[in-house]
Amino acid sequence: MSDIVLNSVSKSFGGVRVIDGISLDVPSGEFVVFLGPSGSGKSTLLRMIAGLETIDEGSLTIGGKRSEHLAPGQRDVAMVFQNYALYPHMTVRDNMAFGLKNIRMDKAQIARRVQDAARILEMDALLDRRPAQLSGGQRQRVAIGRAIVKEPAAFLFDEPLSNLDAALRVRTRVELAELHQRMQSTMIYVTHDQTEAMTLADRIVILNNCRIEQIGSPMDVYLKPASRFVAGFVGSPGMNFIKAELSGEGEQQVATLGNGSKVALQIDLPPGTYELGIRPEAVQVSQTPAATTGKAAVVERLGDRTLVHLHLDDGSALVALDSGRSQIRSGDTVHLDFDTTQLHLFDADGIAHHAK
Amino acid sequence: MTPNTIKRINWAGGIVTVLTVVIAVIWAFPLYWGIISSLKPENEVVRPYIELWPDTLTFEHYWFALTETQIGTWYINSIVTSLGVTVLTVSTSMFAGYALSQLRFPGRTVLWWLILASFMVPTQVLIINHFVLMANMSLLNSWAGIILPQLIHPVIIIVYKQFFDQVPKDYREAAAMDNASEWNVLFKIYIPMNWGVTTALSIVTFIWAWNAFLWPFLAVTRTEMMTITVGITQVFDAFGVYYARQLSAAVLAGVPVALAYLLFQRRVTQAITLSAGIKG
Repeated sequence: MSDIVLNSVSKSFGGVRVIDGISLDVPSGEFVVFLGPSGSGKSTLLRMIAGLETIDEGSLTIGGKRSEHLAPGQRDVAMVFQNYALYPHMTVRDNMAFGLKNIRMDKAQIARRVQDAARILEMDALLDRRPAQLSGGQRQRVAIGRAIVKEPAAFLFDEPLSNLDAALRVRTRVELAELHQRMQSTMIYVTHDQTEAMTLADRIVILNNCRIEQIGSPMDVYLKPASRFVAGFVGSPGMNFIKAELSGEGEQQVATLGNGSKVALQIDLPPGTYELGIRPEAVQVSQTPAATTGKAAVVERLGDRTLVHLHLDDGSALVALDSGRSQIRSGDTVHLDFDTTQLHLFDADGIAHHAK
Repeated sequence: MTPNTIKRINWAGGIVTVLTVVIAVIWAFPLYWGIISSLKPENEVVRPYIELWPDTLTFEHYWFALTETQIGTWYINSIVTSLGVTVLTVSTSMFAGYALSQLRFPGRTVLWWLILASFMVPTQVLIINHFVLMANMSLLNSWAGIILPQLIHPVIIIVYKQFFDQVPKDYREAAAMDNASEWNVLFKIYIPMNWGVTTALSIVTFIWAWNAFLWPFLAVTRTEMMTITVGITQVFDAFGVYYARQLSAAVLAGVPVALAYLLFQRRVTQAITLSAGIKG
């Protein structure tokens, strides 16, 4: 276990910048998730740590050792690939032992490590099978087992759950979280699935356009997104965004929405035009007449809750959350209450300002 | 499906079957004729009309080929040279294919084009150069002299490269994470993942080498160094050529190839498809 420190690392592919001066410190034992849309550079960043991509500029330190010039096998990290990359002609046992044989580890020790890993992952019975004889979930385990036997300083996961079906993905996610708690190893995990990021991470690193948008705990990122991008990317259903005109004095401000309704809030910002952001759970359906009304367009009943997709008078769209037993039907006029402590305003540069 | 269409399909199928059988018979007839003639007494062979079955069945020509010629030595020469050609061609092509497919080095593209270009040069064009070269190296009438010029098979490099190109790069990366040397990546991952190709190419190379005639015929003048294909030409005596004897030697020469084919039928077909179509 060890720290991983990235210092202003950059990477270009044929003149196109894909990683732009990223600095990051991952303390020992932390579970860090790189979250971002396709093309944000998250996988590239992980592969740079693994050594599968070169680092053009900047430095990488793993466990106090400068590592940017080391071969992948010498960085003391293990990687779990998206497609598992299990060697098809080898048994599970040989797949797991291959890396250890390559460093000429003593046979008895290899056998012990493979047994230990198989026990941790509850796959003793699979050791003599070949990958083709395993289910997707079992292959996933073997891929993790292959990483565990190396007892690496850090585990690197490249979207490891994306090839599993939905139910198995949820189960494996929980198992991964348990594994991390048990092993207390440093783990870096790449995903574009924000649920995985929220559930697994100690800290989430949100990447966009080759740069880090925000680093923070899952709840930090969710409640206090640093930018318009983060606010929109994290959370499902996504945050609502409405144009708003801010007026008032000091911290006492009033945001006037496009449909003319006014929302009072406490925020220290100069008057002007902003984008107002509010999560669906902060938009409550009111039984009594309220300042803002909208027309329900689509009602999505999810059992425990109901998502009401609304149109305000000026045409702007909004999603509100109601209870599972909501009586609202599409076409109904709905009164809305905003939780003003959960409002965010985004300026022209997309930088977030949070209401108090 | 109406009864009409069934009828049409049956007709078409029937015609194709008949055609295939006719073509197969035309192809197989010389083989049949060769075998049957080798079992006839010489005087029956030279009769000026076609007899599909011998009046007198005899194995005397086989006996002659086996006891009165150096066929045993020729067999050994053929086995040694064919195995030599197979092992050396397949192993060097494997390395070359791997390097061209997986390694990045200066001149790689030029090398690849050269190999592709050499594919267009027929062996016959080079045969005089080969002869002079082997003569200068004093390798005529030796196994090495038979083997060396037969090692040029760009098509095998091409097939290997194609196969190695198709191995997903994840495996290479997983191997890199697993601390595998280039040698281990090739021998522990790429070759075992492509065993089918290696066996198929080995069999087909062996058959090529076994059937080779022109070069061994030029490279060897001493009877005891001849391969079996060249040895057949030596089955004559002071009174001239005996067709049945020559045919019996030819049949004996073909036996190992026929056996190899029967044993590895599927692989041979695969290899021929691979090397002929360069896998589309």
